[in-house]
Amino acid sequence: MKGQVLIEATNVSVAYRMSHDRAGTFKEFTFQLLKRQVTTESFLAVDDVSFEVNRGETLALIGPNGAGKTTMMKVIARVLPPTEGRVVVKGVVAPMIALGAGFNSELNAIENIVLLGTLLGRDPLEMRGRVESICDWAGLTEFMDVPIRSYSSGMLARLGFGVVSDVEPDVIVVDEVLAVGDEAFQRRSFDRLQSLISGGTAVLLVSHALEKVEAMADRVIWMDKGKIRMEGGPDEVIAAYKASVPR
Amino acid sequence: MDTTLPVYDSAALRTPIITELRNLWVYRGLIRLLVTRDLTTRYKRSVLGVWWTLLNPLLTTGVMWLVFGVVIGSRFGQTTEPYVVYLLSGVIMMTFFSQGFLATAAAITGAGGILTKVYVPAEVFAFATAISTAVNFLISFGALIIIQIWAGVGVPLTILLAPVPIILMLALIVGLGLTLAALAVYFYDILDLSRVLVQLVYYLTPVFWTLDIIPDRFHGLLRFNPLFSYLELFRDLAYRGIMPEAWVWLIPIGSSLVFLALGVWLFGRSWKTLVSQL
Repeated sequence: MKGQVLIEATNVSVAYRMSHDRAGTFKEFTFQLLKRQVTTESFLAVDDVSFEVNRGETLALIGPNGAGKTTMMKVIARVLPPTEGRVVVKGVVAPMIALGAGFNSELNAIENIVLLGTLLGRDPLEMRGRVESICDWAGLTEFMDVPIRSYSSGMLARLGFGVVSDVEPDVIVVDEVLAVGDEAFQRRSFDRLQSLISGGTAVLLVSHALEKVEAMADRVIWMDKGKIRMEGGPDEVIAAYKASVPR
Repeated sequence: MDTTLPVYDSAALRTPIITELRNLWVYRGLIRLLVTRDLTTRYKRSVLGVWWTLLNPLLTTGVMWLVFGVVIGSRFGQTTEPYVVYLLSGVIMMTFFSQGFLATAAAITGAGGILTKVYVPAEVFAFATAISTAVNFLISFGALIIIQIWAGVGVPLTILLAPVPIILMLALIVGLGLTLAALAVYFYDILDLSRVLVQLVYYLTPVFWTLDIIPDRFHGLLRFNPLFSYLELFRDLAYRGIMPEAWVWLIPIGSSLVFLALGVWLFGRSWKTLVSQL
């Protein structure tokens, strides 16, 4: 079913409330309410963005810090509701926004695999059956009954990627996570992503590593100050983006 | 396979209460996991482990019994029933309330690290926390039954109905916890404020004092404190062996439903702002 649209963002805007104007205490809030000034001032992190990602396709978001890339990812990952516009995502979504989010440092690898898998919407019993192959992939079999608070960051990243990529997702949302770990891990996680993509997974990727984007993405969107600045093939968009960065 | 794909549509309408109930069902595996995780990791580094759940209310009761029963004496302890049983039953119910209510509210902000990275309905964390305080309560309820037998009160048949006030209390805790979590989005101070209020309520509820030290004309006023009737209901059923009067049933049932509905409604209204501020 190639060509089926899995991610559809239509005129999405996300506004954050400005924190310095937020009523901090009950007293302030009451006064502001009385003066009819409850803060409405907000900051548009994403401003009227639309795009689609098809099955088996990889779309990358690039742009400077503060362009709204991560916010956009969070909207697609369902973590953040859009303020305006609409998002429709079909299928099982695997968010790789921060590998290891959801892990409990007091628990060991086995318990954490079950915990994270369940957080991602899978059945705990089913996850228990996946423990061995995940530990095996992550190269953590001999440490699987050690509390993960004694793990190195590379080990945590391998475990996290192992679990998230194990759920056979239809949609993967990746935020810079492929930049962690050693060369061997990066290559293996890249290969695993590739095999998922050829199996029909749609990928939304956010990265500052432009060579990686060039190698992986079918299409690239350049975001700036919450808006889409340019959209197209990786070569032309990356070249234009690079040219815009002052030396 | 494509027709059966789960679909996330941000424009889909959220039906209050129905959405929450469905989420609890869909995420029941996670709730079970979070509850067991909470119970097993809480005391992981302590020597006595889970026994603390049993020891905590017993020690609190011991201290109160010393202060109010022995030192101050009959001023507080004018009961026809053993004071220790009266005290312990009050302590475990009020601990259930105060810990459950505050922990449920804190559970949502506490899960911020997860909620900003993986989609999980926030109320799942609130519910799991409330359930694990309920499990803790059940353990201390076991202690109460042992003390009842030891003090010679015995175990009346009405104890079979004791789950009713416990479930009503759980509903109250979830409702108040969600209300607090929703309000904390707009003014964070309310978390500190409610910690103080819980203390106040503790003293306004007959946990360690009995009704007869209060002048009769204030008794009607006391009924405005809903927790009073939760405690009465629980005590009547757990060890007095009395079938409570209608009003004793009405207030817990009414107040738990009202607060549960209020909490779910307020939470549903503010969850969009809530996640963006975690």
